[in-house]
Amino acid sequence: MATAPICLSGHGLFDGYAAGPFYDEMFASEGRARSHYARVFGRFSNMAAAQFGERRKLADLSFLLQGITFTVYNDGRGTERLFPFDLVPRILPHSEWAHIERGLTQRVVALNLFLRDLYGGQLILKDRKIPASLVYSCRHFRREMIGLEVPQGIYTHICGIDLVRDSATGEFFVLEDNVRTPSGVSYVLENRLVMTRTFPEAFQEHEVLPVNNYPSELSRILRTLSPRAEGEAQIVLLTPGIHNSAYFEHSFLAQQMGIELVEGRDLVVDGVVVYMKTINGLKRVDVIYRRVDDDFLDSLCFRSDSALGVPGLMGAYRAGNVALANTPGTGVADDKAIYAYVPTLIRYYLNEDPILRTVETYLCDRRDHLSHVLAHLPELVVKSVGESGGYGMLMGPSADRSQIELFRERILAEPRNYIAQPIVPLSQVPSYDAASERMAGRHVDLRPYCLFDGQKVTIVPGGLTRVALQPGSLVVNSSQGGGSKDTWVLRGEC
Amino acid sequence: MLSRIADSLFWLARYIERAEDTARILDVTFHTLLEQAQQPYGLRWDPILSMAGEAALFRQLYGEPNAHNVFEFLAFNPNNPSSIMQCVTKARENARTIRDRISREMWEDLNGLYFTLGNFNPKEETAAGPHRFCGRVIFGSHRFHGVTDATLPHDEGWEFLRIGSALERAEMTARLVDMQYRSFIEPASSVGPPDNHQWMAVLKSVGAYEAYHRQYHSPIEPARVAEMLILHAQHPRSIRFSMTETQAALRAISNTGPGSYANEAERLTGKALERLRYDRIDDILRGGLHSYLSDLIHNFNGIGEAIARAYFHYEVVA
Repeated sequence: MATAPICLSGHGLFDGYAAGPFYDEMFASEGRARSHYARVFGRFSNMAAAQFGERRKLADLSFLLQGITFTVYNDGRGTERLFPFDLVPRILPHSEWAHIERGLTQRVVALNLFLRDLYGGQLILKDRKIPASLVYSCRHFRREMIGLEVPQGIYTHICGIDLVRDSATGEFFVLEDNVRTPSGVSYVLENRLVMTRTFPEAFQEHEVLPVNNYPSELSRILRTLSPRAEGEAQIVLLTPGIHNSAYFEHSFLAQQMGIELVEGRDLVVDGVVVYMKTINGLKRVDVIYRRVDDDFLDSLCFRSDSALGVPGLMGAYRAGNVALANTPGTGVADDKAIYAYVPTLIRYYLNEDPILRTVETYLCDRRDHLSHVLAHLPELVVKSVGESGGYGMLMGPSADRSQIELFRERILAEPRNYIAQPIVPLSQVPSYDAASERMAGRHVDLRPYCLFDGQKVTIVPGGLTRVALQPGSLVVNSSQGGGSKDTWVLRGEC
Repeated sequence: MLSRIADSLFWLARYIERAEDTARILDVTFHTLLEQAQQPYGLRWDPILSMAGEAALFRQLYGEPNAHNVFEFLAFNPNNPSSIMQCVTKARENARTIRDRISREMWEDLNGLYFTLGNFNPKEETAAGPHRFCGRVIFGSHRFHGVTDATLPHDEGWEFLRIGSALERAEMTARLVDMQYRSFIEPASSVGPPDNHQWMAVLKSVGAYEAYHRQYHSPIEPARVAEMLILHAQHPRSIRFSMTETQAALRAISNTGPGSYANEAERLTGKALERLRYDRIDDILRGGLHSYLSDLIHNFNGIGEAIARAYFHYEVVA
């Protein structure tokens, strides 16, 4: 049920706060904070605007000095920008998180079983649970991976799964899976660091689960993949380089894990073994945490015009001389059309009901779905199946006629490439609005990061809360003007 | 250590040093000229522009040099590849590509310097004179070295930084002495009695003015200044000192003892150092200071290339 209209007064920074028709994570009803938010609400509403402004400056400066920036491409030359950080934390009581954790674990295990099956026996296609044509037409399906034994049988060691909350009930839904090279986890760690520095007193009043074991857990998993029987495994993180939007994260993780950050030009393959070029000659590499897309990994195997990868890498991988995380070809599992079948996958492989629901999805290459989509474009979100990062999307309700017509043509020309979903009216969390110098409701999503070692799924408590800082906006991607919040999972209920 | 990282460390240090040296020379020249306002500017600004190696570019952009446009050009101009801002920008870019390998403190310090200098307004600064800006650059460089020494393990990476600084400093000092000596010898006959203001300026620009007086107890004599800047064993900005640093760092990397060399870079460094240890200033001047310094600069370039061949670049073998 939607909450009653809320409008606050007599609460400092919260004066004039209106929850509107959305699920508000802080307020349950008029002026009453939910119990897990009570102390944060009390503290922030007692703060003078000037005092709050000072803390904001402190936090921004800290991000700037550390050079925690990302690069945006749409201005033609790639500009460094700060990822805006909002100081009001996003808080989840333990029971909510426990539910999410169970749901994500189930999903990650099922997606891995799916990938293993797809590149192995293909039982799911033989049992006709999912159309073979849909799988084979996925842009990120890699024929080169069929029949290949991968280390420990794991395909996607690192997943970022995007969750949103239903605006009426607050129930968490899966919006999309990211099982190729998900980014953002560095912000989870840095946000926490800045938050504890900026608001130590608010932090002390709660028992917040720590997030800082992510790098050591990732490092442990990478180590288990090493094909070398004895000696210390040489692990590297492969980055496309300084101009990549996630470069900060690549260098941050390499530093935290104490592994080399390499570019394609630092590596060379000789006799199906991968080496890195050091000042003391060539040194053998055992495990590569690659943050370069499949297409660019190896110009001999995939795109021949790639200069970012390492020619011959796939040969070394095939020979079992080097391990890659994530495995090439995982993108088939986060194709937005396959997304519609994930509940089917969970039932097929695990014989369980899905714990987390998915958003109703129309596949444009199904005739019955297509006619519905074309008739309802102004009400739907249309997504290109292989894209991520908020690129290649149509937001029906906010689009004008010409944009809608453009997408109609695109869909008709290439129906397999598009899916449509009803608009999910995201939940909101109070966030600071610099223009009015007051708190205002802003829409959020949540991307938890899941690590899988073949036995156990480890999830950093919380994850990255992305927030659409533009009033009314539902697009949280950093490339589209989104920011982030520190996400607190409490040890208890409040 | 990855070759690319060693390469970036080397250049990171070179750019920082180049920014500092340019700031020193700019600041001191400007203030020396203030005290000699009767001199036409062109006479004195020319050498510093040719020393920076960008005299032609300057002419093309500005025409006649004066105190304001020389400052603007050397400090801020983005079209001048060796302007101070460009050096700091490139130093930061190098640091950014290897920020996982330098200490967090080093990165934050350098990143902070980049933003601080970026906040200077070129128009206001050129009006106010270079002292504030140049002071900030010099201090920034000192702080960077301090932070580096205190937070970075003194391993191979640290040695590559040390080589970058020392080699750049040796070359800048050689160019500085060469420029002053030539501009002094040439116009001296037409200008009349040689004034020692400019030599004083040279000493001040490398922070050796007080040390000179302690050492020589004599008025400023060009030959003594040259001796101090080229051959002094302990002054940290002399060419000999810089080459001693370079040799020590190269040996630390390759684990080579005295009396031998592991690669061409070490051989060339040792060769240069032999001359710097045993040559006397009078002999050098008799043989021609310009050719002596040109030889040294040529040698420094050779060392840089040999280091790249030994440690940074891999031949592509088909």
